[in-house]
Amino acid sequence: MVTYKLYYFNMKGRGELIRLLFAASGQKYEDFRIEKNDWPEYKAKSPFGQAPYLEITNGKKTMILSQSVAIGRYLARKFGFAGKGDEEQAMVDMYGDQISDLLNEFAKFMMEQDETKKQEIFQKLQNEIMPFHMKFFEAKLAQSKTGFFFDSGLTWIDLYLFNLLGLLGDQRNQLFEHFKAVKNLYDKVSEHGKIKAYLETRPETAM
Amino acid sequence: EVIRLIFETAGKPYEDIRFSFEKWPEYKPTAPFGTAPFLQVTNGSETLWLSESASIARYLARKFKLAGKSDEESAIVDMYADQITDLMDQIAKIFREKDENKKKEDQQKLDNEIIPKYLERFDQRIAQSRSGYLAPSGLTWVDLYFFNFLDIQGNKTEAIFDKFANIKQLDQKVRSNPKIAAYLKRRPVTPF
Repeated sequence: MVTYKLYYFNMKGRGELIRLLFAASGQKYEDFRIEKNDWPEYKAKSPFGQAPYLEITNGKKTMILSQSVAIGRYLARKFGFAGKGDEEQAMVDMYGDQISDLLNEFAKFMMEQDETKKQEIFQKLQNEIMPFHMKFFEAKLAQSKTGFFFDSGLTWIDLYLFNLLGLLGDQRNQLFEHFKAVKNLYDKVSEHGKIKAYLETRPETAM
Repeated sequence: EVIRLIFETAGKPYEDIRFSFEKWPEYKPTAPFGTAPFLQVTNGSETLWLSESASIARYLARKFKLAGKSDEESAIVDMYADQITDLMDQIAKIFREKDENKKKEDQQKLDNEIIPKYLERFDQRIAQSRSGYLAPSGLTWVDLYFFNFLDIQGNKTEAIFDKFANIKQLDQKVRSNPKIAAYLKRRPVTPF
């Protein structure tokens, strides 16, 4: 029997994709949330000194995986959320990379300390970067028969984008005015049975 | 380049279209996200357009059995690839930096702190795999990706190889793979 232990901070950030995948699949796991002060201890255990990382134990063998998207893709394959067939999986990966680009831009904004620079980055994000990426997502989602990125049903990138939109807070309402299919995706994921239950019970965190 | 290396290693023929910056606007409309590289895969009457180099690489690697021998190994390979992409992104960010002082500062930090820290981990992982490659089962696409990362370090590679014996060995193993050696001899010489 395989057991899973996720190591990440008490926030959504880059770890939530993994938590959402576990929720959607119904697979039990240990959701270990690292206290900031304890980080140095866990950093040493992580493959490249970063979190999230996932400890997968199968009998006597343990594997530790880091990089949220690599973890996400691995679990998605195991749980049936990777897309149907090599070609669709490649396209899922492709959109996933785009979402990662956007998440990285957003992370840059969140990490900027200088207030003036932060405002500059925010403007660029809101006026250029977000709309640029959302346009592609909107086009794909508008074509979908299921309301998810792919007609075959929910894949990890639906959860990935859902999480990113969640991190935007109320700002996402502005986006939703221009990108209806994206809004529809957000709503669909929110209402997905197992995910809805998870959303109702998960810890509330700012990020 | 990782895409080209995968085709070459697998011995699969492909059309390697190289366009100049001036010609790019002609190709841009057909690229899925308006970015390059992008790959056109035609199977009979069906065509698949893929962008994002890592996604293309992973797709081809799976087809050509260069992705690792199990889901678990493929995931580890993906993890290594994402780390290398992080480094490549940091290099690109510095390249685009307009402020000369910040550029110098960031470059120093990258060269003296960040890259060595990651290389140390990679060096350890290569030693642990026992295959001389990053994955225990042998050559996977991430070795080609890592090889390319080292290749573009230019005159910094000597210092890297002096410090990290396992990385040096991996570079040599990739370089001396007959198909790759042949490709390296004939590929166009470009600065990046």
